[in-house]
Amino acid sequence: MILNRSAFFLFLTFAFISCSETESKEEPTPIRVDTPVVHIQPTNSFTPVDISPMDMVYFPVDYPVLKMSGKNVPDLVARVIYSRPHREGRKIFGGLLKYGEVWRLGANEATEIEFFKRIMIQGKTVQPGRYVLYCIPSQDKWIVVLNKNVFSWGLSFPQEDDINRFEIPVETLNASTEFFTMFFEPTEKGANLVMTWDEILTRLPLQFQK
Amino acid sequence: MQMKKMITLFSLAVFSFGFSFGQSAEEDVPGIDKSPMDMSYYPNNYPVLKIQDKVSEPVVSRVIYSRPHLNGRPIVGGLLEYGKLWRLGANEATEIDFYKDVVIGNKKVNKGRYTLYAIPGEKEWTMIINKETDTWGAFIYDEKKDVVRIKVPVNGNKQVAEAFSMTFEKTNAGCNLLLLWDKIRVAMPIAFK
Repeated sequence: MILNRSAFFLFLTFAFISCSETESKEEPTPIRVDTPVVHIQPTNSFTPVDISPMDMVYFPVDYPVLKMSGKNVPDLVARVIYSRPHREGRKIFGGLLKYGEVWRLGANEATEIEFFKRIMIQGKTVQPGRYVLYCIPSQDKWIVVLNKNVFSWGLSFPQEDDINRFEIPVETLNASTEFFTMFFEPTEKGANLVMTWDEILTRLPLQFQK
Repeated sequence: MQMKKMITLFSLAVFSFGFSFGQSAEEDVPGIDKSPMDMSYYPNNYPVLKIQDKVSEPVVSRVIYSRPHLNGRPIVGGLLEYGKLWRLGANEATEIDFYKDVVIGNKKVNKGRYTLYAIPGEKEWTMIINKETDTWGAFIYDEKKDVVRIKVPVNGNKQVAEAFSMTFEKTNAGCNLLLLWDKIRVAMPIAFK
């Protein structure tokens, strides 16, 4: 009987929380579920599959696929290679990642950004080449750093190799992204490098001649 | 009792409703690939060695590839077709970088970024290094852009590799790029000493 009563109150509480959650969302966002988590393969002793899988993104968006179509393909501008940690119910910013501390923008190897032409970021010229990209997140802004110490693991970023630091604002979404995600979105003057995880989204604006 | 049941069902329904909204993302962000991407360096684990100050030889090569899984499928006549060009992985074409000039199959390959393909066979594989980078799969492969083709023997493996794997091993002349999947093991020799 006691068990029954507490179960009843538990359900009431759930119902209450759920109701208030649902009511606060006036415009429901479309449901989008990530593809299943890739589990590591213990049978593979040669090189185990990473828990946080690697991925790459190009600008122009989907450049390799665009190229395959054989149409007028615009010039290649940028490519990011990064790993994609999984939220798994954790609080990410201000939790797993401490504010004010360096974060590799991914997992495992340092995140790599390559520019195939000269670009501008916040009025600073960045020469073509391969760089490491990392950030220092805080509650209201991120400092995104271009560093020249390429081919390194993402736990050490010698400051003498920093090339530029850029401050960008933080946007809070009312929905959460499960896997850390980077992608490019076209803009009038070039493209934004969009970085999003959990409920946080940031944009690093890149300018270049199209 | 009836009332309690109704509340239970109602709260469960509302709860799962809220939960599914919690999973959705505001932006249409790219999902995770089924065959995850990975990279290997020669020397092996170069990035880790680098931050530990344990590098004993300079970085020579890096491959970036995607890792399909067997998932119970047969490799021969299933995942790979003998005599047919394969992208050596999944999704984007496999990329190989050389950070110094190397020799592959008696041919000099200048330092730079290339695409790597293979034509699998029962006893030997043809490895192909091609100049057209940043492409998808092997769909726009152009033989005219080949830098070198080399035939390498197929060896068996004692262990089964569930995920397609690429790694390097040190040799007297430089290193081998190892390809491992299921019970197949193929080594492409790279000379640089």
